[in-house]
Amino acid sequence: MVNFTVDEIRTMMDKKRNIRNMSVIAHVDHGKSTLTDSLVSKAGIIAGARAGETRFTDTRKDEQDRCITIKSTAISMFFELEEKDLVFITNADQREKNEKGFLINLIDSPGHVDFSSEVTAALRVTDGALVVVDCVSGVCVQTETVLRQAIAERIKPILFMNKMDRALLELQLESEELYQTFQRIVENVNVIIATYSDDSGPMGEVRVDPSKGSVGFGSGLHGWAFTLKQFSEMYADKFKIDLVKLMNRLWGENFFNAQTKKWSKQKDNDNKRSFCMYVLDPIYKVFDAIMNFKKEEIDNLLKKIGVTLKHEDSDKDGKALLKVVMRTWLPAGEALLQMIAIHLPSPVVAQKYRMEMLYEGPHDDEAAIGIKNCDPEAPLMMYVSKMVPTSDKGRFYAFGRVFSGKVVTGQKARIMGPNFQPGKKEDLYEKTIQRTILMMGRYVEAIEDVPSGNICGLVGVDQFLVKTGTITTFKNAHNMKVMKFSVSPVVRVAVEPKNPADLPKLVEGLKRLAKSDPMVQCINEESGEHIVAGAGELHLEICLKDLEEDHACIPIKKSDPVVSYRETVAEESDQMCLSKSPNKHNRLFMKAQPMPEGLPEDIDEGRVNPRDDFKTRARYLTEKYEYDVTEARKIWCFGPEGTGPNILVDCSKGVQYLNEIKDSVVAGFQWAAKEGVMAEENLRGVRFNIYDVTLHTDAIHRGGGQIIPTTRRCLYACLLTAQPRLMEPVYLCEIQCPEVAVGGIYGVLNRRRGHVFEESQVAGTPMFVVKAYLPVNESFGFTADLRSNTGGQAFPQCVFDHWQILPGDPCEPSSKPYVVVQETRKRKGLKEGLPDLNQYLDKL
Amino acid sequence: MANFTTDGQLCIGREINVEPHQFNDLSSSFDIEETCKWISDHNFTKISLQFPDELLPVSTKVYEEIKKRIDIDLYILGDTSYASCCIDAVAAMHVKSDAVVHYGHTCFTKTNIPVYIVLPKSLLNVDKVMKGITEDKQAEENNKLCLFYGSEYDHCKDNLKRIWFQCFPRSYIAYIEKVDHKDRFLGRLVQDATGQTYSVDILEDCFCIFIGSRGQTIFNLTISVLAKGWYLFNPDKNKLEHIDETSWMKRRRFLVEKCKDAEVVGILVCKLAGEQTKEIISRMKQLCRINGKKNYIVSVGKPNVAKLANFPEIDIYVMIACPENDLYSNRDFYKPIVYPYELEVALNSKRDQYFTTHVTDYDDLLNGKRHHCEIDNIKEETDVSLITGRIRETKVGHSQESKMELEMKQNWALENIGNNLHERSWKGLEQKLGETEVKPAQTGRKGIPLQYNNEPK
Repeated sequence: MVNFTVDEIRTMMDKKRNIRNMSVIAHVDHGKSTLTDSLVSKAGIIAGARAGETRFTDTRKDEQDRCITIKSTAISMFFELEEKDLVFITNADQREKNEKGFLINLIDSPGHVDFSSEVTAALRVTDGALVVVDCVSGVCVQTETVLRQAIAERIKPILFMNKMDRALLELQLESEELYQTFQRIVENVNVIIATYSDDSGPMGEVRVDPSKGSVGFGSGLHGWAFTLKQFSEMYADKFKIDLVKLMNRLWGENFFNAQTKKWSKQKDNDNKRSFCMYVLDPIYKVFDAIMNFKKEEIDNLLKKIGVTLKHEDSDKDGKALLKVVMRTWLPAGEALLQMIAIHLPSPVVAQKYRMEMLYEGPHDDEAAIGIKNCDPEAPLMMYVSKMVPTSDKGRFYAFGRVFSGKVVTGQKARIMGPNFQPGKKEDLYEKTIQRTILMMGRYVEAIEDVPSGNICGLVGVDQFLVKTGTITTFKNAHNMKVMKFSVSPVVRVAVEPKNPADLPKLVEGLKRLAKSDPMVQCINEESGEHIVAGAGELHLEICLKDLEEDHACIPIKKSDPVVSYRETVAEESDQMCLSKSPNKHNRLFMKAQPMPEGLPEDIDEGRVNPRDDFKTRARYLTEKYEYDVTEARKIWCFGPEGTGPNILVDCSKGVQYLNEIKDSVVAGFQWAAKEGVMAEENLRGVRFNIYDVTLHTDAIHRGGGQIIPTTRRCLYACLLTAQPRLMEPVYLCEIQCPEVAVGGIYGVLNRRRGHVFEESQVAGTPMFVVKAYLPVNESFGFTADLRSNTGGQAFPQCVFDHWQILPGDPCEPSSKPYVVVQETRKRKGLKEGLPDLNQYLDKL
Repeated sequence: MANFTTDGQLCIGREINVEPHQFNDLSSSFDIEETCKWISDHNFTKISLQFPDELLPVSTKVYEEIKKRIDIDLYILGDTSYASCCIDAVAAMHVKSDAVVHYGHTCFTKTNIPVYIVLPKSLLNVDKVMKGITEDKQAEENNKLCLFYGSEYDHCKDNLKRIWFQCFPRSYIAYIEKVDHKDRFLGRLVQDATGQTYSVDILEDCFCIFIGSRGQTIFNLTISVLAKGWYLFNPDKNKLEHIDETSWMKRRRFLVEKCKDAEVVGILVCKLAGEQTKEIISRMKQLCRINGKKNYIVSVGKPNVAKLANFPEIDIYVMIACPENDLYSNRDFYKPIVYPYELEVALNSKRDQYFTTHVTDYDDLLNGKRHHCEIDNIKEETDVSLITGRIRETKVGHSQESKMELEMKQNWALENIGNNLHERSWKGLEQKLGETEVKPAQTGRKGIPLQYNNEPK
């Protein structure tokens, strides 16, 4: 069945200009995996007839059962382009001379928002993206999210309008209506693209254009697809027009008068839009004839479109016949592979502009140049984007992309984790790569070596990486940038084994789970509880199932989902807070205040970060947040973990020995920022100011022992005097539904403290889109609740958006935050009740 | 002078509230007769009397009572170095005592000096207690029971034993045994109605009842004796309550993980003398060494938050102390404190990773004792720490070092100290030549550190 061999692929791997690394991205249920099947069938791994039903890339049983992609899956395919099509490739770096074959490494990614970390991981190792849009529901929230991510990673998109069969068979759209729908989707996609990049940028023109052939149309389920190129080819000879010119004529405001044989730019009574006339009409006719069983017309049409039915297909009719005819006439694989080969960049082209986005080190060192030139002779630079479980329990393939050099079986390489810093030994291991492998859906194939520009898996490095990392042979290499996820692990459950003695197995399982998913967090908390944190309920459900069945292999008990909270303040401290050291000889004077809106997010996103030059950072803070410039220059640190969204600012003047206690104060700050005063949750959005410090003149009396605990006490006093508040995570929730169901949505949202901020109709459809903010804590069971209140017509997509203050004063025993604080304290085994200010505040 | 010290008048003039103990019969409350007999039987000539702080007010009276009866050298020891429940053998040796008489609450740990333990005494209405227990436990008649009691009730143990076996003839009693015995556990020995003694392991299918008040003693028993359930009977409240420490156990398991994460371990010595102390320290050092963790011995007297925070580079402390020490569960410390047993579980691969009972007394971990376990050489391996979410590497250290290795290791230590110093922004050794601005001298602060003159009053 397989029409290519590993040897053939290996030969192709060296022809880096003929490689296309691409991912398939889309909103959930827009038909990515089904469409991918058409490609795989073209490459010959599964039988053509079953394309659209097998979902080859859904390798897990639960993926097949639920019809939803959970993990991204890679396959490599070999495809030859015909001579006439090769002329469309004009860039010399897009094609090796005299080589018609292309190696396509495709990654099918999940569409459900809970799994978007998988998309992020897929985008990192690819250069192009096939954006699939269901032409019935149009551009949805997840389409936008993944497209935005792709553009940010400098991934070039091409567009595919899927589910045309539904538009024709179910919605019975008129051809002009259908054109308008297509046109609107193209526009929507281009608006998103334009928002995040412009055509003068390093990637060149990014927008998609049907008349250039970068937009495909068709049905993944039925296995047919086309671009304007296919139709132009059919007509070019007849019309005696140049192919490229004709493609331009077949889209947009081009109308043809069949009587006068004249083209026009305007719609008149007697002319017709060329796209409808030459592209849609033939398709409509075929559909009409077959679905209405017009036997004679069918034969006639088949002759016209040049389709001869195979003997075994001749007695089919209705949908089955339609499929066969369409598939033979407009084979999806052919159209898609042409789009990919012609419009998506080769690694040689892509890495030129992607290097600066990928590499943390100087842009002129050996590694940077190697990446930039996609040079197989340069030192090895490989990014591992995720871990794929092997059949050997507890072991993983490290899956990633070789950006420079060659990764060879048996080679000794430096394995650098995300915390590696050049010149230091932390998170750095020098080990041998046991095996390099090619990953193809359900199968893996061993391969001797893999040169730059290719995607592959490694055996033997999984023990040294948690989730991601950089693999290199260059001694002075810096890390490749870590991926930024669009979702956060805000939903948590506590797990424990049903049989307490199984605890070590659970712990082992959690460690494996942590590796197998790009985003899930497995945490052992101070209280000893084991927490699994994920993006949403579905994500957690899948993770826990994996934990129970594959990783730990023991029955587990899980708590109800909960969210994690953050502690913050609402006002500036109402007094100057003084704390004395245990020997009473050192005194700290500080205050807390809330950060201006937007700053915590700026810190989260890294726009303001501890590694910035302090002058640049101060200027930014002064301009954007009106911080005093001298104070802004004296930010001592960020926290918790040295990077979090809280800062400690030195606002003091002329304090003796202050620099000597800085480390101790910072240590105390990190401690307090990690475990806040109310419920020992992380702080968020708090700025602490040091106004004055009195220190003992003898260094021995102002050591860490005196200062660290005192700083923590003082910071706690600052928090308690500054109107402490709790923050909760909030989802941005997008719900698609017909108009009748909108009322039901409002009811459900109101009951769950959600609020709608946008409601609009999807143009050209009867569907409405409602956008709302919904506290994550109220989202548990939301999907089911919504379904039951709207007769199953509303489908929500929730993605973490921001933190918001939980209304109410946690010091007020009747308030909601108070209850949350008490519950959290109880769970953590802390003393119940409220922290006492007198314990932290001293008097002179 | 006023500028340098606080006014001495303050200390002299400070009023302290002392509540005099009311002991009706000093002689029987403090076993004076028995003590004297013990001393004369052994022909001791120099005796130290060790009192906890709360009994210091009566110490002189006790001293006089004994002196009245036998004429020997007597010393009163107060203000013990670590905990008043442990025998302060070092202080006793300062005066070259032959033996120590210990008063007040005790932890029954072994010492190398002869000790006579005088237990505190509280009144107990045995009949009322038994009634309370039988009423509550009636339903569970089929269960085996074991009775524990606080050391303050030891004086009425005969009565207690008699009535207990009358009510529950098939059950056990754990009486207080002052003399070392192979089955003695935390100062207690389990016995059945016939007087046969057993090891505590037989309590596995028993419900245990402790007569006394909440505190470290019942806590230690609960966590280290495996039983079907633990109940506390407080004679003041006359009520049986269930004691459950599973959440505490969870927290300890977290700390075991913390031990595995730690790179630098501080061995905190809070116990004086004793062969066992030396042995456990070297065992802890060996465990750290074969796991490639650096270790430092820290001895700072009674530990407190400020003292331990002076060593910010230490990731975790393992405290060698009396099991009755309550600092283990204190959460105010900058870095957590663990029991020697917990470090063992973390670093000794031969030990079972999952524990349901704890070993609070490190003595049991030593060679030839109940919970001893060989230390195994470990394999070099990596795994994921669920606390930091990072890769955790087990670096193999060497359990035996030759002279050459010692030399190499010194350099290694230097290098690592350099690493820690590297993390600090202020190292204290920078000269900063020419970087400091030249300024005319200014008047500095006046006054004492407690309150400088320029500070607002």
